Amino acid sequence: MLAHFPVLAASRISLLADQFRSALQQPHSGLVLRSLLILVAGGVGLYLMLPRGRHTGRRFDRIIGAALATLSLVLLATVEIPTGLAEVESAQKTLLWSFGSESKITGFTFYALAAISLVSAVMMITSRNPVYSALWFAVVLLGNSGLFLLQGAEFLSAATIIVYAGAIVVTFLFVIMLAQPSGAAKYDHVSREPLLSCLTGLILSSVLVGTLHYSARLDVRGGATETSILPSAEIITLSSTLPDSRHRTDANRHVAGLGKALFLDHVVSVEVIGVLLLAAVVGAMLIAGHPVHAPGVNETGRNKTGRNDRPS
Amino acid sequence: MPGSEPALNNYLIVGALLFTLGIVGFLTRRNLIVMFLCAELMLQGVSVTLVGFSGYHGSWSGQVFAIFSLALAAAEAGIALALFVVLFRRGHSLDVSIWQDLREADQPPIPDETTDDEPQAEQVWPRLAPAGLLPARSPKTAGEPFESAMPAGAGSERGLR
Repeated sequence: MLAHFPVLAASRISLLADQFRSALQQPHSGLVLRSLLILVAGGVGLYLMLPRGRHTGRRFDRIIGAALATLSLVLLATVEIPTGLAEVESAQKTLLWSFGSESKITGFTFYALAAISLVSAVMMITSRNPVYSALWFAVVLLGNSGLFLLQGAEFLSAATIIVYAGAIVVTFLFVIMLAQPSGAAKYDHVSREPLLSCLTGLILSSVLVGTLHYSARLDVRGGATETSILPSAEIITLSSTLPDSRHRTDANRHVAGLGKALFLDHVVSVEVIGVLLLAAVVGAMLIAGHPVHAPGVNETGRNKTGRNDRPS
Repeated sequence: MPGSEPALNNYLIVGALLFTLGIVGFLTRRNLIVMFLCAELMLQGVSVTLVGFSGYHGSWSGQVFAIFSLALAAAEAGIALALFVVLFRRGHSLDVSIWQDLREADQPPIPDETTDDEPQAEQVWPRLAPAGLLPARSPKTAGEPFESAMPAGAGSERGLR
């Protein structure tokens, strides 16, 4: 098995190269290449912003990285993704962030909220202090709940803020209890394999964004709609549909409809989730309530390696 | 209310990028609490995707699944924070690298990158400024208990400098 690995890898790589070459012949290959370049710029910026220990040589690394990441965000807003609607094939060059026939205000609000979410997510994973990470995560949640509101998910938006506010406060407590007494910890200033993980993120995001291009291309060429991830909206038929938020009446109230969907269509899942939460609570009590021997004298000897980050 | 396709594309891209950022942070950060936050960030990315699909198809199912993922996140948070308490009690650190001996027996240990040769920035804690001047003492109380209480205060003020 292991002996065949190089042959297998070579054949796979040549296959991938063939596919890539044929993909470049496709009509929208320029768009794909452009978004790939933008994602590469974002990945390099992220790598420069991550804490890298002693390799954080220059002081301006973070500033350059932030500038690169911001640039890639702004450029990403200008990438066009061809939509799959056949009747607008001539006019399918809609901007990524444009909202078609919807109002400009909706588009602008989405733009702002998405920028808030993504920028705070970058700041969250690159900040050296876990307190700041938790704070930036709270900002991510605010942006996300705004995005939820924009798509007519009012209950979910409120629930996100309510549930995660508690989670954030608890995380703060944990940071203050566990991380702060030792001051600035060394492990917060060193990332593990930042280059490789940025590469992983780059590949993942390229595949995800490229899938959008690919499925849109399938749609545009027609006849392959069933393999697309975007079936036309009319295919899906459902008993209960979202009320139009612009024509909200008492007859189709939001929470009532959501409750109907939850407790009629998904009632078994609700029960399962309830049991899962109960199990989680019991498990958490079992784990945290288990007495540990006096600190420093546990028999595993891990304290020897664990002590090195503590000030003596 | 079937949404427009550009809007769905936008939501999918934002969700994908949030998920990617979460995975990068989870792979590369060494603080347990930050890793936990990154896992939550991945869940948020998935929620954005689900809500985008829900708006596009005009169906409740996406929002229902997002609510389920919210409940899952809550359960995960409870378990994870309980584990952090236990791990911190045993290891006295939030570093994940000290738990490397949980690896497979035949795997070599991954050497940690140390920061020993990096000049550590001294942690600067905020300090309260001394609140104004000391009140002028009247000569009557100069040698009284007030004076005996002073050296402690003066000493601590000198210690602040």
